[in-house]
Amino acid sequence: MSPFLQLRQFRLATLSLRLLSSLVLISLTTVACFRVLRVNETTAGFGYLLCVLAIAAAWGLVEAIAASIAAMLFFNYYFLPPIRTFTISDPQNWVALFAFLFVSITASQLSDRAKRQAGETQIQQIEMEKLYTLGRAILLIDTAQPPARSITHQIARIFGFSAFVLYDRSAGAVYQSGPEDMPDVNEKLREAALQGTLFVDEALQLTVMAIQLGGQPIGSMALRGSSLSDTALQSLSNLVAVGLEKARSQEAANRAEAARQSQELKSTLLDAIAHEFKTPLTSIKAASTSLLSSGVRLPDEKQELITIIDEEADRMARLVTEALQMARIEGGQLKLNRTVTSMPALVEETLSQLRPLTEGRSIKTEFAGDLPPADLDIELVELALLQILDNALKYSPPSAEITVKVQAARGRLVLSVLDRGPGIAEEERQKVFEKFYRGNRNRDSGGGSGMGLTIAQEIVKAHGGEIIVKDNPGGGSDFSMFLPLAVEKTVR
Amino acid sequence: MSAGRILVVDDDPQIRRVMRATLVSGGYEVSDARAGEEAIEKLRTEPFDLVLLDVNMPGMGGTEACQAIRASTDIAIIMLTVRNTEKDKVAALDAGADDYVTKPFGMPELLARIRAALRRAPAPENTAAEHIRISGGEIDLASRQVTLRGRSWRLTPKEFSLLSYLVSRPGKTISHRELLQAVWGPDYGEELEYLRVFMNRLRKKIEPDPSKPRHLITDAWSGYRFTPSK
Repeated sequence: MSPFLQLRQFRLATLSLRLLSSLVLISLTTVACFRVLRVNETTAGFGYLLCVLAIAAAWGLVEAIAASIAAMLFFNYYFLPPIRTFTISDPQNWVALFAFLFVSITASQLSDRAKRQAGETQIQQIEMEKLYTLGRAILLIDTAQPPARSITHQIARIFGFSAFVLYDRSAGAVYQSGPEDMPDVNEKLREAALQGTLFVDEALQLTVMAIQLGGQPIGSMALRGSSLSDTALQSLSNLVAVGLEKARSQEAANRAEAARQSQELKSTLLDAIAHEFKTPLTSIKAASTSLLSSGVRLPDEKQELITIIDEEADRMARLVTEALQMARIEGGQLKLNRTVTSMPALVEETLSQLRPLTEGRSIKTEFAGDLPPADLDIELVELALLQILDNALKYSPPSAEITVKVQAARGRLVLSVLDRGPGIAEEERQKVFEKFYRGNRNRDSGGGSGMGLTIAQEIVKAHGGEIIVKDNPGGGSDFSMFLPLAVEKTVR
Repeated sequence: MSAGRILVVDDDPQIRRVMRATLVSGGYEVSDARAGEEAIEKLRTEPFDLVLLDVNMPGMGGTEACQAIRASTDIAIIMLTVRNTEKDKVAALDAGADDYVTKPFGMPELLARIRAALRRAPAPENTAAEHIRISGGEIDLASRQVTLRGRSWRLTPKEFSLLSYLVSRPGKTISHRELLQAVWGPDYGEELEYLRVFMNRLRKKIEPDPSKPRHLITDAWSGYRFTPSK
């Protein structure tokens, strides 16, 4: 026999017993009033009313109505003349009889309603307590095991469900808890999680409902073996949604933290390696430059060999520096130290840093007349410009002119480097900014790490700007950096 | 006669070797130290004109050693560093260095910096005004002393050169480039951070309130200016 039918029979038996007891109570009141105390009809009427009210308060409306009718019959038979008949001689007594019935039933109803409300309040309070306990449990959830599993166990334990199943849609996982088995509800769970539907099976005492967050179903749950009010059910679903979401964001944060730490470690390591490389380079460079500048005229071939050592030491130092910068940029350490800056000074400074490479080259600068100051990280923008200039020097013939142009356009500063090289094909223009990409034409010319333009682009991006490559009218390429202008800031 | 006595402080033996070889052939007398502590000890017992100080050393680092050396002497100090961000440069100068060179460097560049650091500024043109009054004290150009509120401050040679250059041209704005070339030498001109750090150092010594300078005035974009007390 199913537990549900057992419960039904038990309820029926209780009701019958109470009805019988009500009748016995009314009979006892009749005996007391008519035989023992011998009171008049008014007192008897109040006696019956008291009795009916007591029954309504203790048991409920059905029992009270049964008692009211019984009391009316007894009242008529024993107290309203002619006594011991169901007939009534005085019409006034009809009024009294029906007034008694009416008062009795109304009082029963009021009393029953009060009792029911008290009961509901108590149930609500218990539900609230359970929800509160669950809320606490979700906050203190142990992150060692999957959070959805912990939530499932906590719900089954706190609410005393005989079975509880939670379906986490994004993870595609189903978690089950409770002392009994759940009938196969997977189909219903999936449906609820997709369409946000509610499914209730009274006979099985089974409820399947969606778990929604911000109006979107993120999963569903099936519960069995304990009834919950609609409000409590809704709150439970909300709590589960919040719990799942909290677990998810926690997980995402952990992953991001782990990624950040590994990135940090990587860039710290690269930083250390780069510095280790620079120490021997310092000795090599000091030695080679000493030999070259000693004033003693060396035989041509020796001069040539030392020059190679010297140039390659420079190249290696540049590669190490670029690797370092790349590591910093990738490690997210690109923090801007913005200063209001005069662009001509910045361009001149960058050109002076490039001096050995620019010797014998023709580099022109053009500054727009009323150039407003820019708000940028001087060091980083110099570095970006250095990379682009280096690129222009590398990819254009030594005789070709390079122009650095600064102007303001549509609230932005435009810093352009124009060369007379072979230009960049349309389909190559995005690729030149990719890490380790090197142009086809110049694969054998050496020198670059393929990181220069990536570094320049990252720097400009960090300023909220962009780099655009286009054709230089008349041949060659035009690399333009769009940077922010200074706004209402005092000049430092 | 040697061009000067140089103490090379670096933990890397190869760098000490190559420095010794090149500096000696450049006419300098060279001694070396492996760490900050050793350098301070050597400076106490032997006379030197200049210290080449590596920033990144185990134990007492270069910056700390620089501060310690600067606390007791006004010897010329050039820092050698592998880091070349603005922050690192300013930190080196703030510690009291006169100049810095980024590793790896070419020897001609280092030699030029050494010559600049050893160069003493020519005596101020206006020799009549040896004592210059400032609020709360005075500057004595002859003894390189600043007296402020009864306390006397010693200036390093570079600080003194910078101050005397400005002081001997009162009320006139001197451009960054002119100041750099006058004080550090003809190879300089773009190193604005040198001026920023040195002006801060000077302001701490001669201004009653360094955050609101009354004598050493910054003229944005153009340069610096000295205003004497009225």
